[in-house]
Amino acid sequence: MWLKPNSTLVLNRWRYLSFIAGFFLFVAPFAFLVRATLFALGKIQEPTLHVFCYRMPIDWIFGGRYSSLIASSVSTGFIVVILASAFLFGPLFCGWLCPVGSISESASRVIPIPSKYRIWIKDTQITSGLRYGFLVGFIAIAVLVGYKLAASDLSSICCRYCTSSVLQNLSSGIFGNFLAIEYWHTGAIIVLISWLLIGGVFMQGGRGWCLFFCPLGALSNVVHKVGARLGLYRIEHSASKCASCNSCSSVCPTWAIKDDKTIERSLCIACKECVNVCPNGCYSYQKGFKK
Amino acid sequence: MFAVTIVASSYAADFGKHEMVHFWLAFPAGTVIKPTVLRGPGPPIALTPLTIDLDQRGVLKNLLNPSIEAISTHWIYNYGKKPVRIGLELVNCTFPVIWEVGANFPYDPETRTFMQPLMPGQSIPNLGIDWIFKIPPSLMYSPVIYDGGLVIFDADTGETLTFLPIKIVRGSGVSSGGANCCG
Repeated sequence: MWLKPNSTLVLNRWRYLSFIAGFFLFVAPFAFLVRATLFALGKIQEPTLHVFCYRMPIDWIFGGRYSSLIASSVSTGFIVVILASAFLFGPLFCGWLCPVGSISESASRVIPIPSKYRIWIKDTQITSGLRYGFLVGFIAIAVLVGYKLAASDLSSICCRYCTSSVLQNLSSGIFGNFLAIEYWHTGAIIVLISWLLIGGVFMQGGRGWCLFFCPLGALSNVVHKVGARLGLYRIEHSASKCASCNSCSSVCPTWAIKDDKTIERSLCIACKECVNVCPNGCYSYQKGFKK
Repeated sequence: MFAVTIVASSYAADFGKHEMVHFWLAFPAGTVIKPTVLRGPGPPIALTPLTIDLDQRGVLKNLLNPSIEAISTHWIYNYGKKPVRIGLELVNCTFPVIWEVGANFPYDPETRTFMQPLMPGQSIPNLGIDWIFKIPPSLMYSPVIYDGGLVIFDADTGETLTFLPIKIVRGSGVSSGGANCCG
């Protein structure tokens, strides 16, 4: 899983460059796409990763807070665009641009921890079950809190466990705004540990947070699964050429390769690592129905 | 993961009452001496004097970052009958407080006033204000660390519109006045 400069890095260069682009597009002090969006809409908000919230619009939809969806139209529009692109082209935002996922994946790839010390669930059904167990829990909480059925016992888990906030604060701190990293609440500390350390460094592929705690990622894969069934873009496996060498499984950051080497679409983020690593060209990113 | 998510939510509800406490603001409400629901052109707004007990915070917070605490609001509503240009002031604080203000509404950090009047029934769009209290070691274990409040005033006349009492204490066993932060 580590970066091999002569192979992995070269083969996936566009994706890793895209990681860097994602950081500059979304995360302050750069946040070029956020700035452009706010400028185009005539808004004077501070341009940070927070402007495009990954979670709250999903919480509002299931919690019946439709006025918030309209009031925060930038976040709502962002979620719609991400889900539409996942439907049409696969979860490309997750696999190529998302700064939260790309940083934890990069940490996993560059920090040399032996694989035996990394968590890796090889059964895609178990991983999917865990992932969608979280999503069901997220939706249940949105309903219970949004409709005030358990508002004093439960809290929406959007802001209290916000990776965007932690990443934004770390970035601001690194680029000179030290105030941003002075205050840490319990949720932010838990996020830092579970996103970068447990989900990043100590999980094979470094996408533990994306797999088990990101509602947008989980929803993106739901719509991707539907799109793939309709013949839209997805990664496809050709069994006839497969030598079962397992190189695909070892590079897949989201543990999406099944035992028979086909793709579990509820986990695949269309990163094309399998396409690039397969010596026999078994994987392809394609549309249309499988022959 | 379903169970983990529910537990995480329950834990967030617990520590959220004592850390980065979120609260609603509206004016004119006078001095908020007890929990009050203000009714007006927008949603009913619960205003409650804030008390934050530092001893009730999460274990990780108390272990790793104990001397900095914060409060936050995303909601300031004008429930009066005329447009008002407002300012904010934190009173009776003897130690440093950092103001982090973001809004889709012009704001002057020097005078801590908003530059445009807020219309009746309107709230400040996309507001996020964090007040970060840097508690000095000398006060860290006092029973009462801060006893003051937040004033919303008319920036043109200086008139106080709302005063929300805020206390930071240790060992009272209760915190009060928090709201769900993901509004």
